Amino acid sequence: MSVASVPFSFGRLGLIAGNTFLEAVRQKLFNFLLLLAVGLVASAQFFREFNFGSSELKFIADFGFGALIFFGSALTIATTAQLFFSEIENRTALTLLAKPLWRAEFVFGKFLGVFAVIGVFCALTIGLMIALLWHREGQLMVINPDDFANGRLIAYGDLLIVGLLQWLKFGVLTAIVLLIASFSNTNLFTVVTGFFVLVICHLQYLARDQWSNVDNVLLAGTVRVLSLVFPNFQLFNLADEIGQGAGVSGEVALRVAGYGVAYIAVIGGLAVYSFRNREI
Amino acid sequence: MRFDPAALRPFRTGAIVLLGLLGAGIALRPLEAPAWTEVRAKQPALRLDSLKDALGQGVTVGLLGGFRAIVADLFWIRTNALWEKYDLPGTQTSIKLVTAIDPRPLYFWLNGSRMIAYDMPNWRIDKAGGYDVVPDAAKRRFDEEQSSIAIKFLEGALGFHPENPLLVLEIGNIHLNRLKDVETASRYYLRASRHPDAPYYAARIYAELLRRLDRKRDAYDFLKSLHPTLPKNDEMAQARVVLDRIRELEGELSIPEDARYRE
Repeated sequence: MSVASVPFSFGRLGLIAGNTFLEAVRQKLFNFLLLLAVGLVASAQFFREFNFGSSELKFIADFGFGALIFFGSALTIATTAQLFFSEIENRTALTLLAKPLWRAEFVFGKFLGVFAVIGVFCALTIGLMIALLWHREGQLMVINPDDFANGRLIAYGDLLIVGLLQWLKFGVLTAIVLLIASFSNTNLFTVVTGFFVLVICHLQYLARDQWSNVDNVLLAGTVRVLSLVFPNFQLFNLADEIGQGAGVSGEVALRVAGYGVAYIAVIGGLAVYSFRNREI
Repeated sequence: MRFDPAALRPFRTGAIVLLGLLGAGIALRPLEAPAWTEVRAKQPALRLDSLKDALGQGVTVGLLGGFRAIVADLFWIRTNALWEKYDLPGTQTSIKLVTAIDPRPLYFWLNGSRMIAYDMPNWRIDKAGGYDVVPDAAKRRFDEEQSSIAIKFLEGALGFHPENPLLVLEIGNIHLNRLKDVETASRYYLRASRHPDAPYYAARIYAELLRRLDRKRDAYDFLKSLHPTLPKNDEMAQARVVLDRIRELEGELSIPEDARYRE
């Protein structure tokens, strides 16, 4: 039976996603990075003596999001590459794809499995950060009641929104790593390229800034094209707005979420197209 | 040798992927642009002029990873270690690096500018032979040069914290205490006092500076307009002190009894 003779199945996609999720949570890497991130967030209160610039609560939030973004990015890239190539290297991909299974089901199954793992990571890290901030804010409210005359300072809903947006960003990163893996021959190449793309996506807005100041038309055009090819990851970074002014704007958060979901769909689709053209 | 069209397949795939990404970038611009404008307006640290000083200093991963606050704090500790050694170029560079990494906290800008304007002229005098040896003209030149660097640094801070009264006051303080330029200092105090979050003392000191400039009538008029705006039960507002100064000025200006300020 050929793939063309069976319709696309969410059941099969779900099976691959579930299997990928189980495989990922059994990995030492996931547990190690999760432990490191959770340890770092929990230790934020011991680092608060280092806090010179911002308020103590802002510092703990910054520190927590730092751990989330840093370890989340590392986990996303390493896990996606490892799980994809383990199928290729163990030849299980050959067995799977010899059956009536769409490559789209395989790629999006892998995506959903990793996305779920990253979701667990984000939920645990954000949950711990919220608990820590809530506890410390409660202590400070007793020590300095005048500073909290209008109630709690931290908008905990904003923390959840920013955490959700970071999760979506990791989703875009997962799709990018899958796209790279779809044509790459080695795990190492995928991981290294994934990290480079992460840096580029975070800094691409600087290229746009420079582009507006460049006189050379050819160079300006090249920079502009490059800035359009890579998604803008800095857009997802709304953590700075927590506890400032009106906080995180709902409209901006929705736009950023839409941007993330659209990119996941497009890059995921391109990964499927590229994987279909690959000889396994 | 026969040409195999299949050999071009990877290039075709790559080109289609790139075109797909470019198309997505163009199609999603209308969704991204308004959100990006708003995100950026609220995050001064995202500017190129801020980041270009920080990039390449081994802190890129920290910045990308979101550890902006902790990286800046660690560099601030390094700044203080250099400051203790009277390392002028090192301290100055490190101060700029800290504010490039995290321009949000006023603490770094204020304390950094104080190191530059108040401590560094003394280091330069010590290095040139000490207070007894260095001529007054050279001392003055050191003060002017360091003050100019500090003022430029604080003006840079105003780019990140527009019209922040504490930064404006700090510029005024340098003009007043280091450059002994009361006239310019008074303009900064006035500018700071007009901000709704300005500390009460900004307006009081402005009036005092007007007195020192022998503009007693202006000081009197200013204090008269200031006094009714001060809350009576806020100790920081010092409404009583302001009233006392109004009375002193009325005496000095020989204001007739019937024309005097009434509470």
